[in-house]
Amino acid sequence: MDYNKNNNKIDNINNTNKQDIEDSDYYKKIGFRCGLEIHQRLATSEKLFCHCTTSNPSDSIIGKVTRYQRAVAGELGNVDRSAEFEELKNRRFLYNVHDKLTCLVDIDEEPPHEMNIEALKVTLEISQAFNMKIIDELQPMRKEVVDGSDPSAFQRTTLVALDGKLKVSTQSIGITSIFLEEESSAIVSENENEIVYDPSRLGIPLIEIDTDPDIKTPNAAKEIALAIGNILRVSGKVQRGIGTIRQDVNVSIAEGSRVEMKGFQELDTMDTFIKNEILRQQKLLEIKDELKARNAKVYEAKDLTKLFKNTKVKIILDQLSKNGIVMGFKLSGFKNLLGKEVNPNRRLGTEISDYVKMAKINGLIHSDENLSAYGFDDNELFTIKKELEIDDKNDSFILIAGSKNNVAKASMLAVERARQALIGVPLETRGVANTELCTTKFLRPLPSGSRMYPETDAKPIIITKEMLDEAARNAPDIEKMKERLYKELSNKNIADQLLTSNKLVLYLNIIKESKADSDFVANILMQKFVELKRGGFDVDNINIINIIDLFKIYKKDEITKQAVEELLKILSKRKESIDISKLIKENKLERIKSKELDNLIEKVSKEINSKDIEKLRSIIMSKYRLNIAGDELNIKLKSIKK
Amino acid sequence: MYSKDLQEMFDAEHIKPGDIIKIEWQGNVLEGALMPKSEAGSEDTIILKLKNGYNIGVNYHNIKLKKISSKKLNKFPFSNYIPNPELPNISIIWTGGTIGSKIDYIISGVSMTVKPEELLYYIPELAKIANINIIPLFSISSEDMTFIEWQKISEEVIKALNNGSRGIVITHGTDTMHYTASALAFMLQNLNAPIVLTGSQRSSDRGSSDAFFNLISAVRFAANSDIAEVGICMHSNSSDDEMLFIRGVKARKMHTSRRDAFRAINDKPIASITKDGNIKYLSSYKKILDIKEVAVAKTGFEPIVLIKVHPNSDPEIIDYYMQKGIRGFIIEGTGLGHTPVSVEHEGFSWLPYIKNAVANGVVVGMTSQCLYGRVNENVYKNLRILKNAGVIFCEDMLPETAYVKLGWLLANYNVEKAKEMLKKNLVGEIKNRTIYDEFLI
Repeated sequence: MDYNKNNNKIDNINNTNKQDIEDSDYYKKIGFRCGLEIHQRLATSEKLFCHCTTSNPSDSIIGKVTRYQRAVAGELGNVDRSAEFEELKNRRFLYNVHDKLTCLVDIDEEPPHEMNIEALKVTLEISQAFNMKIIDELQPMRKEVVDGSDPSAFQRTTLVALDGKLKVSTQSIGITSIFLEEESSAIVSENENEIVYDPSRLGIPLIEIDTDPDIKTPNAAKEIALAIGNILRVSGKVQRGIGTIRQDVNVSIAEGSRVEMKGFQELDTMDTFIKNEILRQQKLLEIKDELKARNAKVYEAKDLTKLFKNTKVKIILDQLSKNGIVMGFKLSGFKNLLGKEVNPNRRLGTEISDYVKMAKINGLIHSDENLSAYGFDDNELFTIKKELEIDDKNDSFILIAGSKNNVAKASMLAVERARQALIGVPLETRGVANTELCTTKFLRPLPSGSRMYPETDAKPIIITKEMLDEAARNAPDIEKMKERLYKELSNKNIADQLLTSNKLVLYLNIIKESKADSDFVANILMQKFVELKRGGFDVDNINIINIIDLFKIYKKDEITKQAVEELLKILSKRKESIDISKLIKENKLERIKSKELDNLIEKVSKEINSKDIEKLRSIIMSKYRLNIAGDELNIKLKSIKK
Repeated sequence: MYSKDLQEMFDAEHIKPGDIIKIEWQGNVLEGALMPKSEAGSEDTIILKLKNGYNIGVNYHNIKLKKISSKKLNKFPFSNYIPNPELPNISIIWTGGTIGSKIDYIISGVSMTVKPEELLYYIPELAKIANINIIPLFSISSEDMTFIEWQKISEEVIKALNNGSRGIVITHGTDTMHYTASALAFMLQNLNAPIVLTGSQRSSDRGSSDAFFNLISAVRFAANSDIAEVGICMHSNSSDDEMLFIRGVKARKMHTSRRDAFRAINDKPIASITKDGNIKYLSSYKKILDIKEVAVAKTGFEPIVLIKVHPNSDPEIIDYYMQKGIRGFIIEGTGLGHTPVSVEHEGFSWLPYIKNAVANGVVVGMTSQCLYGRVNENVYKNLRILKNAGVIFCEDMLPETAYVKLGWLLANYNVEKAKEMLKKNLVGEIKNRTIYDEFLI
């Protein structure tokens, strides 16, 4: 996303606001508050509360189970609103049961086993890196989540450390807390009635790092997210690849409300998302003021089905033919405000429409839209307005059509959201609506503390002094890592790049497992990978085990450097993991060396009846480029002459 | 419980669980609600619930403590519902178990602290199926159930039936539910209504609990089925979309944690029910008849002993129990119904002990630890030896069912009659045919 392009968009709809929005004084003035929650998957061999492996490329699905979930009360007896909201959708959840990647613990058929000590150690080490105060006795908790992403309807999560610090170039930021929790299931497919989940990644340990809400500018947010990501990578004990790190951003402005934005895949656009959220809150506050001035009011929804007996409005007709109903309500004083843009290509009406979707209704019709485009005729509009007592000059109305149950729920939600417009900005968790425009949409109300209750199936863990000391010794240290890379690599530029790259963990793993030449490994990861990606080879997709195997085989002199590159190309095109040795054979990529190479030189030399080195080299390399190491061939050829 | 020192610290500041307190810890000020202490973790650790909902454990050494405000833990909400004269009346007898469990801080586990009315708040669907009369009888863990509870439940069932309930649901801890189901099957005489036991394998304080669907389905069986037997209603498989009604005397818990733990053994389930309430009958059963015989409870029970034999097992255990006055044994034998009998291993042979027991008027019944299949008194010489010693072979009856049955028989009939009835089918506990497709279902 081009940053400037997007800025223009903001300015286009935000004419009142011409200040330099990079100015941190400006952010101070608007009461900008912002904090990050970084979630990073740890690279442990087993899951957090069971002994399932965290990665097995050749696993298979051995069954499916169906479940339903409900919102229940937390420890203090309150039902969490976000949980209640999810239940409104009342969807069926299906889980793919795997042979190696899931066990009964994952599908909520067996109590958790003891907490994975390896994961806890990494969390303590990372906590030490941020100078955190580590809790004396950890209390595993259940965080209620009834969207189905966890078959148990809660996520196990433990607060491990409090109150640390991180310095970046522009500011120093407090690290509020570090948690150790379980990864959720991935969605395989979804429709209004059911979601299919894959719980194979469920239960993989996840570290959550929360900053204080004192980030001063949108740019600083990006910088801090990068810095935290760096420390995690330097630990060498985190997973890499898409989805293994996630950044949630909390944003509010004065008079506005805390909103949590989730689901960014790229850090690049984080600042733009934040700027858009500021804008959205400003616009909602403007709307609030305007509504207040107009003495606006939102009325309860009414069943209007009888008014549509002869309708030609297609989306209403469709619903009525399925025995559906139409409900509508009056928004007095809302005239032209439902259509007011609050974010690029999003209006107040869109915001209300997001809520309606929670009740399995696709959308709503509001009177700030071009109603004749829907097929409404004047007569029909007249009766609707009469029934709802609409004053054309001041009022708006909203119509919702669908099945009886859904419409009743949807109307309730729409009325609730519309009433929030009179108060200001609702507390919400929001997800990405449009990656290009960097806009977000409502996902669910912001969860409250009432979704937390103790995980009584897992015992508390007392942190001993020995554990703390060990963690302090092994804490990730960027300076130490820099020293190490400078020592290992002849090219300091590459070392610097690697230090802040998401390839660092992979590099450390490859070196540790294969003991291959570090310069070669770093070159492949930092340069070859980029080249190959440009050439259309999706090398980031290759399974880490395969990459490590590749370098192990290379280290044993069984393949050449050229073959490593060739194999990366082949692997990038394959979805499933594969035995590298087999792949080498299939593609005839075995290295020809020593005696074999002598024989080959002799054979070619006889065939062309020449001992000319250049000739031999050219013929042999043209045929066996991938199988022969150039330096070995040179030595051999030179010895012929002798 | 908190340690004595810590408790004294709380007392000095007048701090009670639920109060909002302030702790100075490692140079930070932590604020949150003091949680009661479970038996898990160190007694010297203060459990504090922070504003964000997380609990943390703070060691009380080197901290400062101050009370900010008093707060009582919230009460759980109740339901209000108005009976619908068009719906059948059923009773739910509450006996405890995971189905109504809540977090208990004292034992740090799921425990039975919820009132049944709270359950209706969470499962409003129940009110649409039947008018529900709730009988909060007791709150006892499955493992703590005794025949005294079986007797009380039986009496409550009879009372409720005679007060106009069309069917009865009994919530129960799952571990011994099949024992209770068997006891009720024998104790309830002239039964002409569905008696449905149900429980849950996941506590109802979690959104994924099987309690909801189990209870809804049990109520449906009680309200809508024409089964006049005692049965267990639990999940058919790991999915939440089908429940079974399994004859109580043929049911057994076959898994420690799965929600489909209950299986019919040497039998087919009587019926299944879908999430939407469609009942499908799967095998023959006793139906509700248009008779007006009054159900009565014959609740006598005399505790006997259930023994599992195994290689190297010590038969002296029989003498031990006989000295305590035990009048009946059910043996869970190996295979077709064996105990060690070899004279070469004299110390290991159960034969002299069994002979002695029978000679003293004690009833010895034989079942199989295979669970599936039928015991046999003729196939091998060693079986014939036991038969000749007076052992009663209990056909295809489950060991637990035979245990309950013999205890009930000995309390209500003389020894000779008890022996005769032990191997005769009374309520579906013995079938004379072993069917091919009733294995591992």
